[in-house]
Amino acid sequence: MNLKEKLIILSDSAKYDASCSSSGSTRKNNNGIGNAAYSGICHSFASDGRCISLLKILMTNCCIFDCKYCINRKSNNIKRAIFTPEEICDITINFYKRNYIEGLFLSSGIIKSPDYTMELMIKTISMLRNKYHFNGYIHAKAIPGASDILIKRLGSLVDRLSANIELPTDSGLKLLAPNKTTDKVTRIMSYVKENKSKKFVPAGQSTQMIIGATKETDLDIMNRSSNMYQNYNLKRVFYSAYVPVNKDKLLPALNTPPLKRENRLYQADWLLRYYGFKVSDILDENNPNFNLLIDPKADYALRHLNEFPKEINTATYLDLLKVPGIGVTSAKRIVSSRKYFKITFKDLKKMGIVLKRAKYFITCNNEYFIDKSLFKKEFIEKNLVLEDYYKKETKHNQLSLFNG
Amino acid sequence: MDNLVYTYNNNFINLLTLIDELINKNIKPYNIKSNGYNPNLLEEIVNLNLFDNSNVINKIKRLNSDLLKVMYYVYLSNDDNKELIIYYLFLNSYKYKEKLLNMRNLNCVSASLKISNYVSREAHKYKGFVRFKELNNGVLYAEIEPTNNILSIISKHFKNRLSNFYWIIKDNKREIISIYDKKNYYIIDSKRLLIDLEIDNNDYEDLWCTFYETIGIKERKNDKCRMNFMPKKYWKYIIEVSDNIEKSS
Repeated sequence: MNLKEKLIILSDSAKYDASCSSSGSTRKNNNGIGNAAYSGICHSFASDGRCISLLKILMTNCCIFDCKYCINRKSNNIKRAIFTPEEICDITINFYKRNYIEGLFLSSGIIKSPDYTMELMIKTISMLRNKYHFNGYIHAKAIPGASDILIKRLGSLVDRLSANIELPTDSGLKLLAPNKTTDKVTRIMSYVKENKSKKFVPAGQSTQMIIGATKETDLDIMNRSSNMYQNYNLKRVFYSAYVPVNKDKLLPALNTPPLKRENRLYQADWLLRYYGFKVSDILDENNPNFNLLIDPKADYALRHLNEFPKEINTATYLDLLKVPGIGVTSAKRIVSSRKYFKITFKDLKKMGIVLKRAKYFITCNNEYFIDKSLFKKEFIEKNLVLEDYYKKETKHNQLSLFNG
Repeated sequence: MDNLVYTYNNNFINLLTLIDELINKNIKPYNIKSNGYNPNLLEEIVNLNLFDNSNVINKIKRLNSDLLKVMYYVYLSNDDNKELIIYYLFLNSYKYKEKLLNMRNLNCVSASLKISNYVSREAHKYKGFVRFKELNNGVLYAEIEPTNNILSIISKHFKNRLSNFYWIIKDNKREIISIYDKKNYYIIDSKRLLIDLEIDNNDYEDLWCTFYETIGIKERKNDKCRMNFMPKKYWKYIIEVSDNIEKSS
């Protein structure tokens, strides 16, 4: 089998991993090739609109496990391949120096045993770092069940190390991935959390779960994420809308991946990490699933309209963040500017703050953008939904949250 | 007369020297343009022939570094009014000192921040979108056509990243190149580049295009989303998508 055939097989089997980011590391070029860019750099965008920053491949797609949702499951009759460490180094360096990529994303099917697989990965990445003097970004997947000493060795070579939780609940995992257990995954996460330093996994860890393969509610999923962020200091949880690659009686028969739902999860995830929201602000037992018509932040605002409108010149930073249409950059800009002048609607525009959605939820010097008698739930909701509908018709920017 | 266009010799320090001189003489210019500007019928060109930059260099050292960066990025932009915007920034820096960039209700501040963000975003995109080819002699060679003059920004990036390679990046729009000799990069007129550009044929371009084809998930195909992130204007030199242009046109 030639290199091109291998690359096709081993990138095709890696593409379902949603993680694309190359951020969070400040690795310097130590008289070799490459360095990391703290904010991450996207080098291309695939036909599905997802960012390509890393050479995303599996070491091998041979696997002793039989996870129902996975294209590489043991019982699938597909072509199998394995890269040699030299081949991976050669492609990585040659792609990198032509500026195709920001670095390497290396995952693997499990060959022989978790430890054996990890040792192969370590051999490859060690060669890349020490023989080829590669200082670009490397994200490696830790293999659940591998021993601590191997996690330690791999973690000291890479920028990001992660283990996929795969499914939002333990019961889901038991059903679809009988060879994996949650505690094997969280054990890696704990180890990474406790040992993280400038020299061990400097860009932190992330994880991924598949959405729509099992019957969880959005509330279950968000609770799991919130729990992961709190307990393991994860940088990111990635949500991957289930793409039916296998037929199995345990799997749902979907025609299209649940992309809208995935989008809502990313929006809510952002609210947890950067906007000071708690899961209970967004979903509860009575409303366990997202409103597909309206984004979670606007949904919150409409359900708590008594907390609005917020006065731009006096609201706290956290209160400004609750306003639909005002993000972290805008809120910071408002807070730093209003020390120097009283902000009017005209100033907001000059400051580059988009008022399309925000205008319904704010006042400037106690003035509302139209007659204040229109500050009513029905009026605002109607306008927001119409705007969303219009936006959907004109552009599909649902994947914009993949950046960074 | 309100029709005087003051000119400067095409670089950032010369522009600041001119602006400083205008402020000292209390002149509000109708416009400021680099040498070679074609005036319209009503405009009159004034060249003050300033040669001494030492005063302005001392002033720059005392300027807030964020402000200086914003001025430089505005200077690199292709905005028609960039010189006047920098003039007003400089003028207002005397009044507002280090607070100036927070005064986003001033037109010169809001305009310059918008422009410098645009330049910085474009430079960031090019850090990803530059595609080097390997020449027969091992030199890495790339061509770009950015809207703004971002060559110096990305050169600094590649100097750190590819420090052990010889590389050349050519801006086809401005006819300038950045050439790196494993120590420093030099930005010069592209006519001064005399080496042979013989491109080495190897398999890596083909491997990369193969990878690109494979990595997209067909069930999630989304051209509009891709176009948002990677607009057509960048496609010309992005080898993995340029084939598609020929196919569709």
